[in-house]
Amino acid sequence: MSIMLKITNLHATVGGKEILKGLDLELEAGEVHAIMGPNGAGKSTLGYVLAGREGYDVTQGEVIFNGKNLLELEPEVRACEGVFLAFQYPVEIPGVNNTYFLRAALNAKRKYHGEEPLDSVAFLRLVREKLKILHIGDELLHRAVNEGFSGGEKKRNEIFQMALLEPTLAILDETDSGLDIDAMKTVAEGINRLRSKDRGIIVVTHYQRLLDYIVPDKVHVLADGKLVATGGADLALKLEEQGYAWLEDGGITPLPSDSASRAANP
Amino acid sequence: MSELSEQLAAALPDNSVVRPDWLRSLRETGAEQFRAYGLPTRKNEAWKYTTLGTLEQAGLQLPPAVESLPSHDFTPAPLVESGLQLNMLDGQILAQTGDPPSGLTVLPLADALYFGINGLQTLLESLADKSPKNLAGHGFSALNSATLEAGVVINVATGTDAGRLAVLWSTAPDVKPLLFNSRVCVILEPGAKLELLEQFQSTADNANTSNIVLQAAIGENAEFCHIRFQQESDKAALVTRTEVAQQAGSAYTYYGFDLGGELIRHDVHAALLGSGAKTGINGAYLLDGNRHVDNHARVDHHAPGGTSHQYFRGVAGGSGRAVFNTAVCVHPGADGTEARQSNANILLSARAEIDTKPELEIYADEVIASHGATVGQLDEAAVFYIRSRGLSEQQARQLLTMAFCRSVSEKLPDQVLGEVIAQRMLDVMPQAE
Repeated sequence: MSIMLKITNLHATVGGKEILKGLDLELEAGEVHAIMGPNGAGKSTLGYVLAGREGYDVTQGEVIFNGKNLLELEPEVRACEGVFLAFQYPVEIPGVNNTYFLRAALNAKRKYHGEEPLDSVAFLRLVREKLKILHIGDELLHRAVNEGFSGGEKKRNEIFQMALLEPTLAILDETDSGLDIDAMKTVAEGINRLRSKDRGIIVVTHYQRLLDYIVPDKVHVLADGKLVATGGADLALKLEEQGYAWLEDGGITPLPSDSASRAANP
Repeated sequence: MSELSEQLAAALPDNSVVRPDWLRSLRETGAEQFRAYGLPTRKNEAWKYTTLGTLEQAGLQLPPAVESLPSHDFTPAPLVESGLQLNMLDGQILAQTGDPPSGLTVLPLADALYFGINGLQTLLESLADKSPKNLAGHGFSALNSATLEAGVVINVATGTDAGRLAVLWSTAPDVKPLLFNSRVCVILEPGAKLELLEQFQSTADNANTSNIVLQAAIGENAEFCHIRFQQESDKAALVTRTEVAQQAGSAYTYYGFDLGGELIRHDVHAALLGSGAKTGINGAYLLDGNRHVDNHARVDHHAPGGTSHQYFRGVAGGSGRAVFNTAVCVHPGADGTEARQSNANILLSARAEIDTKPELEIYADEVIASHGATVGQLDEAAVFYIRSRGLSEQQARQLLTMAFCRSVSEKLPDQVLGEVIAQRMLDVMPQAE
């Protein structure tokens, strides 16, 4: 297995305030990692830094994605290279038709890779295929991007975009937040269908319940800008049981011996 | 008065031989007003943000009286096909293609004045304004009246659906820039329907000014769809005034698209005289270079149960400047009126400027009214969202500005025309700086 994403000693500030304080992470192709942590730990910042949002300034460290220095690339180049961020709060774009937007995005990526653009017939064929796999209807496609969508619809639209753009690395930022259990199951199923040996997935979540449906290969705990614990899927259960309170005072309680977990920054 | 106003006043035609008497009187009144007030200056509230400096510098002249139109081979390519099309040159009908359907009469204004058309005198006289405060701002209209002769009269008979009439305006460049005056009179009898598609275009070197007044009398339950697409040269000026009087149950819908020109001023005014009339005034303006576009829209609700919606979107780049003034007055007795005004603008450059002012006066009961005016930049969160999906920053900004302008072209009843206009807007969309 090859290392797809290697984050080393990542420090990042937002508005002059340091949010990420030396984060290290390695993700292999085919793996699903969950990053959990209390509010304000820096979970969303990590997603934005990886996607290249302006105002999220990296002050130290590096991110190597498939051999490339990710932080040097413009957001659109990262996207074309295969990075996809599913937003916690997908942005509404009034007046831009969802189908038009998706086709423009897909064709931008195809152009980057020297491929011919898909015409509308070929594109709609692909759309129908993906909709079928994800068991979602086409009603969102005829509307403006995210405009007036419910919380669940916005998240489903993100998953649909991801399915269509077929990223190499998908970062899902609290995709479960604000969803009822049925919507969460739909979203989780969508993510599970995208699991493949060539794709890396980072699921950022506050709650464990999403991980009942997406069983991660690794679970990391992010607190105060660093990964403070890493374990298997069962680490999430411990967090569910004990909450994040045990992280306070910098005190990391020993993890159960059968969890095969270790502290990320010993 | 400015030097230009004095020169123009001195060049006004001799009206003593004009017949019939009412026409001579109209022209004389216009001439007197123009001699008294001249072209508007920034001292007038309605012209506070628009200076005629470029016209003053150009040394504009009235065209010499000619027996026939000059030869000129430029005709704008029509946006879409129309059953009936008028090519206007220097404010006069140059050519007509297609035959008018039964119930539609289209005549040169000079002929209509000579033969007489029912309702024409009343319509022309209705433009006269007695308020000195307004007169100072209506110098162009006074000049237009003082030279009243060129133009078109359109009459649609009771119950006739006349379909689309395309009017393509252009002017012939001369040694010196010229100022052309023209008048369009639209008379829709009860239950009549008309779509008027006006297109203003000129060759790149054209530095002329057109001063066009359109007056419309819309009968009971008649429908007037008025589309105005302007892509003049970067040196040309266009001053237009649209005055619409609406009877009960009638509808007037205006769609204006300003994509070109150096100095553009448009006043559109709808008076809802009968109950239950509907007015829609929509527009988009795209500014780049040194373009100046000034839109003044006003709706007067005089009768109960009327609705008016004003919807304008503007994008300003380069050193462009947009002025937008939208006013609604709900007069006593116009109970149950619904009036909405919306104007939003995107500034793409630090040198561009937008002045927007909504005005609302209500003197009636049970009125629903709303107004909003915004000037802002593109939503950076949306720009990033689009980029994160693989589109370049330039594509992201263009997508957002186009969506903004499309919200106007998509209101057009004819989607094909809407798409053609959207494409034209995309072609001239200013870039962010």
